[in-house]
Parts: sequence; C-alpha cells; structure tokens
Amino acid sequence: MQIETALLIGVLFACATYLILQNSFVKILFGFIVLSNAANLLLLSMSGAPDGREAPIAGQGAGPMVDPLPQALILTAIVIGFGVTAYLVVLLYRLFLDQKTTNAAELYADQDTSEHT
Amino acid sequence: MNLAIQPVLLPLLTAVALLFWGRPSPGRRTFTAISAGAQLVVAGFLIHLTYTQSPLVMPMGNWAAPYGIVVVVDLLAAIMLGLSSFTALATILYGFFEASPRIEHPLRLPLVQFLVTGINLAFLTGDLFNLFVAFEVMLIASYALLTLEADNWDVKQAFPYLAINLVGSTLFLCGAGFAYRLFGTLNFADIALRARAMSDDPRVTALALLLLVVFGLKAGVFPLYCWLPNSYPILPAPVAGLYSGMLTKVGVYVLLRVLGTVLPHDLAGVHTLLAWLAGATMIFGVLGAISRNFIRGILSYHILSQIGFMVLAIGLFTPFAFAACIFYIIHHIIVKSSLFLVGGTAALLNRTDNLDRMGNLWRQTPLLGLLFLLQALSLAGLPPLSGFWGKYAILVVGLEQREFVLVGLAILASILTLFSMLKIWNAAFWGSSEECEVCVWDWRWLRMSQIVAGMVAVSLAIGLGAEGVFRVANRAAIQVLDQEAYARAVFSVTGKGAPAGP
Repeated sequence: MQIETALLIGVLFACATYLILQNSFVKILFGFIVLSNAANLLLLSMSGAPDGREAPIAGQGAGPMVDPLPQALILTAIVIGFGVTAYLVVLLYRLFLDQKTTNAAELYADQDTSEHT
Repeated sequence: MNLAIQPVLLPLLTAVALLFWGRPSPGRRTFTAISAGAQLVVAGFLIHLTYTQSPLVMPMGNWAAPYGIVVVVDLLAAIMLGLSSFTALATILYGFFEASPRIEHPLRLPLVQFLVTGINLAFLTGDLFNLFVAFEVMLIASYALLTLEADNWDVKQAFPYLAINLVGSTLFLCGAGFAYRLFGTLNFADIALRARAMSDDPRVTALALLLLVVFGLKAGVFPLYCWLPNSYPILPAPVAGLYSGMLTKVGVYVLLRVLGTVLPHDLAGVHTLLAWLAGATMIFGVLGAISRNFIRGILSYHILSQIGFMVLAIGLFTPFAFAACIFYIIHHIIVKSSLFLVGGTAALLNRTDNLDRMGNLWRQTPLLGLLFLLQALSLAGLPPLSGFWGKYAILVVGLEQREFVLVGLAILASILTLFSMLKIWNAAFWGSSEECEVCVWDWRWLRMSQIVAGMVAVSLAIGLGAEGVFRVANRAAIQVLDQEAYARAVFSVTGKGAPAGP
C-alpha cells in the first residue's frame, strides 16, 4: 500500500504543479485544490501502513491501532485549506471583473512595477 | 489567570468585539487603542518575567507535554511580543491620525487585531503544527488586509502574494507531516531531545532543508522574495508599517527557533547554505531598492536587504551571532516601520510618493526631514545609531569565522543602502521645484509625525543604550540555543495525561 500511496501523492503534486503554472484562472484554481489534497494525503500516509491495524476507537479491539494524530492534523488542514480556497475563488473572480480576462499572462503582460502612483 | 496566553487572547477578543461593534466611531477607536496599550503592558511584563526568571510554560487545557499543546514564552518570544505590540500600537495610532472615523473601513481594525493574534501565536507556540496554524491565521488576515481597500491595480499585485504563500503553506504542512513521521512528535522540546541522536541521519537534513524553504519564503530570503516588493507598496501607510515591521520577521524568528532550539546544532551544511543565501539576499535586495523610483517601493526592497543581515547572522551560527541577530531584529522592526510611516507622511504632504514629483519637504517641514534622516542613517548603519551596532556585531562574527566574502558583501550592501536612502533624501527632502506643492496646511501630518517621533526616540534609545539591549539579546540567544533547558522547562510542567518527561 505504501508504494502506491507514495506514487499517487507524487502524481498529484506533479499535476498540481503543472496546473498552477498554466495561464487560465480556472486551471490555477484547480491546481491549488489538487495541491492541498496532495498535502492532506501525504499527512494521512504519515500514520504508517494501516495493514493489520484497527480503527482508532477507544475501548474497542485489543490489537494495535492506526495512529490517529495525522487524521486530526488533516482535519485542521482541510478547514484552513477550505477558507483559503474560498478567498482564492473570490480574488480570481474580482480579477476577472476588473480586468475582463481569465488569462494570467495577459494580466501581467504590460506591467512596470518600478513606478507606482 | 495564566499570563502566557494573554498576548494571543487579548487581540483575539478585541478583534471579535470590534467585529460586533460595527461602525467606526471615536469610542471604537479608543477601545482599540486601550487594548493595544494593554497588550504592550502585558508584553513588557512578560519580558521582565522571562529576563529575571525562567521561561513560562502553559499546557493548554492542562494536558502536559508532549501529548498536550504547550505555549512557551522564553526571553526571545517575549522580546518579539513586545516588538509586535509596540509596532501594532504605533501603527494603529498613526492610522487614527491619518483618517477620520467617517472614512475608515470598518474591517481594518478587526483584521489588524487578527493579524496580531496570528503573529503572537507564532511567537508563543511550542509545537510545529500550531506554528502552521499560527502562520495561517496570520496569512489569512494579511490576505484580507491586502485587498481590503485595494483598487484594480492593487488586486493584481495581491494575487502573486496569495499564490506563493499557498504553496509555502502546503510545503509547511508536508514538513510538519514528515517531522511527525521522523520523530514521532511535533512538540519542539520533544523533537529537540529525539533529534539529537539522529543528527547524522540524512532525513533530518532533508527536513531541515524543506523547512528552510518554507521559512525562507516567509522571511523573504533569496530566491524566494519575489512576492514582497510588489505587494507591500499597495498597502495603506499604517498597515504597511505593521507588515514591514512584523511579517517577514516572523520568518526570521522561526528560523532562529527551529535551527536553534528544535533541530540538532551540527547541520553545518544547512547553516552554510543559509549564510550564502543571505549574502545573495542582501545584494539583490539593495539592487532592487536602487531600481525603484517611489518611496514605498524602495523601502520594500530594503526589507529584503536587511533580512539578509539577520539571516547571515543565523547562518554563522554562534551564540554571539544569534545575539547579534536578535539585536538586529529589535533595531530593524522599529526603524523599518517608522520609515514606512515617514514615507506615508511625506506622501500625504506631497500628494504622491513618486520621487520625480516630490520635493521641498526639508524647507517646509524640517521635523519630518530630521526623523527620516535619523532612521535612514540608522538603516544604513552609521554610528551611534542602532543599525551600526547590529551590523558591527554581525561583521565581527563574520570576520572571526573568516567569511571574508560575506563580510565584503555586507559592507557593499550597507553602502548601497546609504546610496538609495540618499536618493529619497535628495529627491523628496532636498529637491526643490516650483511645481510641487507641500500641503503643510493639512494639519494631519503634525500628529502623524508625533507618532513617528515616538518611534524614533525608542530607536535612538536602542542605539545609545546598545550595551543594555545587547545584554538582553545575548541572554535571549543563549536561551534559544540551550535545548536542554528548553526541554526541561517544558517537561517540568505537570498536567493531565502523560507522566512528565519523555
């Protein structure tokens, strides 16, 4: 299981990187969503191989349990990721309303930042 | 009533209260000012406590370390808390004098308080995952403040800031996961004890490098600084003062904490890498500053160049270098924020901060010119101002370690800093042209300058009383580097759950 999980995480990170580097706002947005999911999956895999372990429910089962802490971490990370993604959606929408484009390259094509009024 | 958690609790409760208060009014402002003042008093008391006694540790919910979450205030954390509450108080008051309550955005004050909550939590936390949470609280508040009063052009600059910080947060999350897998714990003290036996494990080095990327990005270390120079100038002056003072310094603080207290001390390769990246940061930052032609842009790039000095001190990695770094942080936060506030006042008087269209300020408002000159020379490092002592100490350590190239780069960066500061001075203060009007009748500038004058007085006091400040910084540095004492302090606190001690 561990090898497959590692490969999946790697593929997800690669996809996310590819998508974030695209010009379209929608692809960038999807890239960040995939990225946060890849990180969450990585956290999950940090609890070790689940083979032969029991669900972490107190008072049930006598065998070794799966480490529950990474799952608590993921919960926190999901909530934070959700908030930030919501902000990202609104920011991209505002950019679209202002600039009438959904292409990042077009957005920053003719910008001179050395002078700001 | 446990004092250790107050620096987080006070701004959080203030922010929530301000959200419910609704419309800006003089009463709401008074309440915020009183709260910010109270935070400064608490931080000052914490500095006193940690300087005279041992670090304060508070187990959250009374669950003992390493299974419970702990809040730890040692001298360095207390100093940083003092700086953050001082900067917050000064910038909030400056904001009050800049605009009347009628045109104040109702969300600005609550968001500033949320930002301070996140910053303070980052200083207090005793475990890696809570540090992530603190960063996120801080970042979400900073995203919101960045775009709160933004126009179309500003929003465009905010997007790269958001994007790169999202990547940074994801990497931090991965780093926390790896650390948990590697050490079986996220508690700083527990990691410190367990990592010592593993210092020749390549996985520890890999983790250190990953964390270096994350914190380097937060601090603005070369080559990860591109988000900073275009995003800070879009902020309104008082908020920019707070950002420039505190946000990147959180990254530097975390580097000090993680490399000094948490990870083993013999990661020589990582430290050398950090020192050279710092050298590059100094040079590229100051070259960027020269390329800019408006005050806020120049000052934003200077943040990076100064970050280079601090990180160089961390990379040299001796107790004295850490003390020099802490001294430099104390000096820099106050000088940088006050320079941004001076820039804001100058822009108010000239109605622009584009250097081509500024001028006549020295003739009409010599007080503002004097304040700028003192802080600019301090930033460049002229004795006896505070910047000189910080740079002097860092260069002494560099020479002791025979890092002549890095010392040369630091001196070059200082000279170029002076050059770009003179650029502002020549154009805005000494320059005279008929067409640029100085709006001295706009009485707001006087009270804004008074706030800056207060900050300059503190900065001068640091420069003239450098020995006393250095003594405090030295004790803080020794405390940061003493992993055993840190772990002892954390594990000596008993509570529910685990037996004390690993």
